[in-house]
Amino acid sequence: MRRYRVILALTALAAALIVPLVAGQFWMTLITQIYIYGLLALSVDLLLGHAGLYSLCQASFFAVAAYTTAILEVRYGYPTLVAAPAGLVAGTLLAVLYGCAVRTRGVYFILITIALGYIIWGAVYRWASFTGGDNGITNVPPPSVAGVSIASQTTYYYFVLGVVILCAFGYRILIRSPFGLSLRGIKGSESRMQSLGYRTTMHLYAAFVISGAIASLAGVLYVYYNRFINPVAASFQISVEVSLMAIVGGSGTIVGPFIGAGIFLGLRNWVSSFFEMHTAVMGIVFIATVLWAPSGIAGFIGRWRGDGAKTKDRP
Amino acid sequence: MSIATLHRRFICAAGASLLATALVTASAFAQQTGPIKIGLLVPLTGPLATPGIDMVDGFKLFWEQAGNTAGGRKVEYVIADTTCNPDQAITQARRLVHQEKVHIMIGPLCGHEGPAVAQVSKETGIPLVMDTAGADSVTKWDRTPTVVRTAVSASQIGHPFGDYLYKELGARNVTFIGQDYTWGHEVTLGIVQTYKELGGKVAKIIWNPIGTKDYGPTVASIAPDSDAVVAIVVGADRIRLFESWFGFGMDKKFKIYGGYWMHQDALPQMDDRAIGMIGNSLHYAAGLDTPANKAFVDAFANKYKRLPSWFSESAYTASLWTRTAIEAIKGNVEDKDAFLKAMRGATVNAPRGTLKMDAYDNPIQNVYVTRIQKINHPAIGSVLTNVPIKTYENVSQFWTWNPEEFLKRGPYKR
Repeated sequence: MRRYRVILALTALAAALIVPLVAGQFWMTLITQIYIYGLLALSVDLLLGHAGLYSLCQASFFAVAAYTTAILEVRYGYPTLVAAPAGLVAGTLLAVLYGCAVRTRGVYFILITIALGYIIWGAVYRWASFTGGDNGITNVPPPSVAGVSIASQTTYYYFVLGVVILCAFGYRILIRSPFGLSLRGIKGSESRMQSLGYRTTMHLYAAFVISGAIASLAGVLYVYYNRFINPVAASFQISVEVSLMAIVGGSGTIVGPFIGAGIFLGLRNWVSSFFEMHTAVMGIVFIATVLWAPSGIAGFIGRWRGDGAKTKDRP
Repeated sequence: MSIATLHRRFICAAGASLLATALVTASAFAQQTGPIKIGLLVPLTGPLATPGIDMVDGFKLFWEQAGNTAGGRKVEYVIADTTCNPDQAITQARRLVHQEKVHIMIGPLCGHEGPAVAQVSKETGIPLVMDTAGADSVTKWDRTPTVVRTAVSASQIGHPFGDYLYKELGARNVTFIGQDYTWGHEVTLGIVQTYKELGGKVAKIIWNPIGTKDYGPTVASIAPDSDAVVAIVVGADRIRLFESWFGFGMDKKFKIYGGYWMHQDALPQMDDRAIGMIGNSLHYAAGLDTPANKAFVDAFANKYKRLPSWFSESAYTASLWTRTAIEAIKGNVEDKDAFLKAMRGATVNAPRGTLKMDAYDNPIQNVYVTRIQKINHPAIGSVLTNVPIKTYENVSQFWTWNPEEFLKRGPYKR
């Protein structure tokens, strides 16, 4: 079974590597977008699939990172080497601040993260003199490091792919570590973990900040991909959509969020080109997922291969 | 026959045959290059789907009338659903350019999608004929060489109404009900600017986010000493304000004028109480009494059994303008610079009037202040519509100010 997984992973990698050669430019940019949103969905899933926290302010870290990078690049002319890390730091710092939400649980946690998310949305929407308001910030230059500019979309595709693979490996190490195990322990029974002597709130806080950092990374990748940022990126809608991506794709897995992002963005951007009622198709996909693949597409594939029980508790 | 005559004849014949060859080659060349592809970016789902469909209908009507040809070439079009989301608009614009290989993009509708699609035009060089998206910045502070606008920039329709409000309606102390987003800010503050310059006093500006469910608190908080109320509302808010206004009996206390309110697409959901009210200050009104507009309205009404909104006229005129430019360059849309130059130089006789581009890529056009009336249209029957009562001719996006001065003042911000 292990060998099977390695072969599968290598095939997927090979497929990802040849995308720019075989697919048209549109598909390549769409797949770049899928990687970026997949990464954002992955950050949601660290909380949702492992720690059992339903966070609905993920778009805030994403947007704050993207806005910071865009503003530094466009308004102040800072190079990528300053703007991109600054975006990452700004998004992560926001997660450090917003992390206090983990003092609550369940529905209260959902409510407080919605409220926190709206603060950022309101700020970028309202503070028009600084953020450009509704019009957003345009003309973000392509990333360039030491005079080498990643202007071509093909190069950027490989760059994003590289970052995503590195993140996936890091994420795998994280969730297989004792820390990841304790997160799943908290999801299973927080009181039992507490009675075993774990400081569960601190664990959840750490998970929240790491999740915010991944979301910030996705935000930085996003702003260089679209060369444009708008308050919609900080909206409640994005937070919900990325959660749905994680759930549909397969919560608690690594590939799941990426599959979910693929389904979501693929349906919206490709099906809409020939079928006007594409939102209805999306609805049917959600219903089908809930009915027949409650652990998402990744879980469904796992079950079909006969190791469903294992996929459930193994990342 | 003298030698000289023979020579002349020979030269004439040679010239004629050369010309003929050139013409044949030119037409063959045009055929070889295949159809012209135009991409239309509009929301077909989401909150602004209705105006989006209005645009599609106006667009289709034009190309049907034009026989789907321009500059001797066939025209094909692709319609992409932007869902009124800039992220989606960007991806769809890239799809049109990279996948569908369009020569020209027309659209989008939502204000905030405008800069997003302009970004794609900038990175790919594909000309964008900016349609109803009205962000002021696109033709003022944030211009893109490959983007021209054929509809309107937000404050362009606001400035004349401020003038009208003070001079003709005699308002001196006004409460404004504005929609709280970029387009709403720019229209509202455009009105406020000209009105205040004349000496008018602003009693209050009440801002409502798009999609405000209840207009009760808004109408209740109108400054009691105001002598007029001006409404700038979009989407479903237009109907909600209308209902609250009469529901709370405000019509007996205040006079209300629509700066941007009772559009043709919202009128079917209003009723006869609207008759006689000032509905809009806009660059188009379905009730405009000109031959060009009558022909357009009749064709539209016969085909779709309703009157065209400004969104329909906008997509129609964007197509007309595009076709005029394509004709001027004889169908060679592959030459993007020539196309953009032709767009900028064209004079277009649109349903809404004669249009020319200013030096900042925004049309100079009439703005009509309209009153709601019930008319009888042979194809539809009795119907409410906007009838112009005052025309401001050839209004520039800079109103009467000098462009440099306007640009230095900066965008209208809340």
